[in-house]
Amino acid sequence: MTSPEIHAQRITPAELQAVNFQRAPLGRRGFDEDQVRAFLGQVEQELVRVLNEKADLENEVGRLRERIAGAGPDAAAIQPEDAHIQAVRILSNAQQTADQYVADAQRYSREIAEEARRGRDEILADARSRATLVLEEAHRQASYAAEQIAPSSEPMSGDERRELEREIAYLRTFSDVYRTHLRSYLEALLRNVEEWETSERESLSGTRAALPRMD
Amino acid sequence: MDAQRLKDNFAQVAQHGDAVALFFYSDLFLRNPRLRDMFPVGMSTQRDRLLSALGRIVSQVDDLHNLVPFVQQLGRDHRKFGVEALHYPEVGASLVTTLRYFSGSSWTEELARDWTDAYNLVSKVMLDAAQQDSSVNPSWWNAQIVAHERRRFDLAVFRVLPDRPFAYQPGQSASLEVPARMRMWRSYSMANAPRPDNTVDFHVQLIDGGPVSPVLVRSLRVGDWIKLSAPVGTMTFDERSGRDVLLIGGSTGLAPLKAILDQIGALPSPPRVHLFFGARYVDGLYDLDDLQKRAAGAPWLTVIPAVSDHDPGAVAEHGTLPDVIGRFGMWQNHDAYVCGSPGMTDATVDRLLNLGLSHDRIRIDKYADA
Ligand SMILES: Cc1cc2nc3c(=O)[nH]c(=O)nc-3n(C[C@H](O)[C@H](O)[C@H](O)COP(=O)(O)OP(=O)(O)OC[C@H]3O[C@@H](n4cnc5c(N)ncnc54)[C@H](O)[C@@H]3O)c2cc1C
Ligand code: HEM
Repeated sequence: MTSPEIHAQRITPAELQAVNFQRAPLGRRGFDEDQVRAFLGQVEQELVRVLNEKADLENEVGRLRERIAGAGPDAAAIQPEDAHIQAVRILSNAQQTADQYVADAQRYSREIAEEARRGRDEILADARSRATLVLEEAHRQASYAAEQIAPSSEPMSGDERRELEREIAYLRTFSDVYRTHLRSYLEALLRNVEEWETSERESLSGTRAALPRMD
Repeated sequence: MDAQRLKDNFAQVAQHGDAVALFFYSDLFLRNPRLRDMFPVGMSTQRDRLLSALGRIVSQVDDLHNLVPFVQQLGRDHRKFGVEALHYPEVGASLVTTLRYFSGSSWTEELARDWTDAYNLVSKVMLDAAQQDSSVNPSWWNAQIVAHERRRFDLAVFRVLPDRPFAYQPGQSASLEVPARMRMWRSYSMANAPRPDNTVDFHVQLIDGGPVSPVLVRSLRVGDWIKLSAPVGTMTFDERSGRDVLLIGGSTGLAPLKAILDQIGALPSPPRVHLFFGARYVDGLYDLDDLQKRAAGAPWLTVIPAVSDHDPGAVAEHGTLPDVIGRFGMWQNHDAYVCGSPGMTDATVDRLLNLGLSHDRIRIDKYADA
């Protein structure tokens, strides 16, 4: 690990990016690493900006010198080279703006997709745990129903028959409870889907009105 | 020619960050407006890829003999962008203008000459390779979608029919371009060995917010046309080693491994093959049915599915691919082929090295930008 090695004369943006801080030893106080990083990022951007301004100015100076050196009658007129550099600047700005729009749109769509994915995972997990609960509940009630089958008084009916009755009672209750739960769950789900559809329809009609079509 | 001086100059210019690439492209497009069409609309992500590579490569001109294979490949790669010989001087002129602008007072006539000479040398290598390639391959193939299956909400398997013979080695990939995302070429691995009917399968996983993969997974329809570049890639099967084989694929990293499976299956006496197929959830094991069918008919093949993010019960092993591989057997005497996301391939290769497999027996294909 290198300690922040900073040359007295010149710091380059790349050096700022590569700088590594030693962690404060345990028990000693240190700076928050993220904060330091964020600050360095700002300094780096500022440095790049200053360097670019410097390059612009140097070019300006160079051109002015040349113009004075060759000062003819039309020295004050705009040189084709200046016009080109100006055009380059305008086009660069336009491209940067366009890039920003594209990058924003991509970030936005990634965030929406991630949110949808989380929503989907939650719904699935929820459905799974509900299903487990419903099954457990059905099992509990059915077991109870089976236990309630009184031992038959008929001498002819053996253990087998009693066992069978118990089983039938269990299954009947189980499927009753299961069906009821399932129905109410599906109804709730259906309501969700309807709400979703309505809200989608509303938001879509909203965007259509607000935005020019992209395709 | 003083290559060190070029490198120093380029490092100095690169300090100006994104402004350099912006200037370069603006200068290029102002002088040659018709070149704008060859580049994607939004350029923020790729912008300094071309320029920094350009500077890096050109200033390594003293090492050109080592770089030749790479530069030749780059020249062939450029055919699909529609780049022709006449474009090279135009790009060269903008490169030199940009460097001069950002060098300010440290710019000299010698620098200008050296840059131009170095650029011309590199261009020549690229152009010669492109020229040679054009006698064998088209700039790209047009291919029609003949089948498309959504295997999961974020995963699709589709089959294309290229308009002419498309030769490649199992394990290789090709770049695709869809009309809905012009100029955005993305790599995908062929998922089958070449077939007599010339059809090719691809497996695509949707990356949230990515520009191309959502289109391939959700919008592509049978009958659509896409473009296909010449195949590339070195994760090909070593038939001569004679060792047993370990195939490890995370999600759609399975694709090139299936092509290799096809190749192995056609051998007179196939080696023993263990195929590990991993996903985060059970429904991410999107091709398990087919793999198990293959294993049932092939005594040399064992398929081991793995699921990392929840306990899959009896369907699959529980754990990440590196963990599951570590749990199974000894792999020192195997050749390993590893393919998937950068996180998955890095972790898996680390584990294999820990388990005693040597580097030269591991071939890797990483699903990330170079
Ligand atoms: C040699 C090679 C072969 C490839 N083969 C396949 C293939 O057969 N099937 C397939 O689905 N993809 C494959 N990829 C990835 C593919 O090229 C695209 O990057 C991916 O489909 C996303 O495209 P996009 O335009 O939506 O987003 P991009 O703009 O390409 O990517 C957005 C971000 O996601 C990252 N990323 C891309 N793929 C993954 C991944 N699998 N896991 C995690 N991060 C990722 C990228 O590096 C980038 O940072 C391959 C990549 C390479 C380099
Ligand atoms: C010495 C000459 C050149 C070098 C070293 C070079 C290098 C590169 C590199 C490294 C890439 C990125 C590769 C990739 O993403 O796959 C690239 C992309 C590209 N290059 Fe070049 N290039 C050169 C000349 C040219 C010329 C003359 C043109 C013609 C206009 C050109 C047009 C493109 C285009 C259109 C792309 C794709 C850009 C994108 O997708 O954003 N290149 N080049």
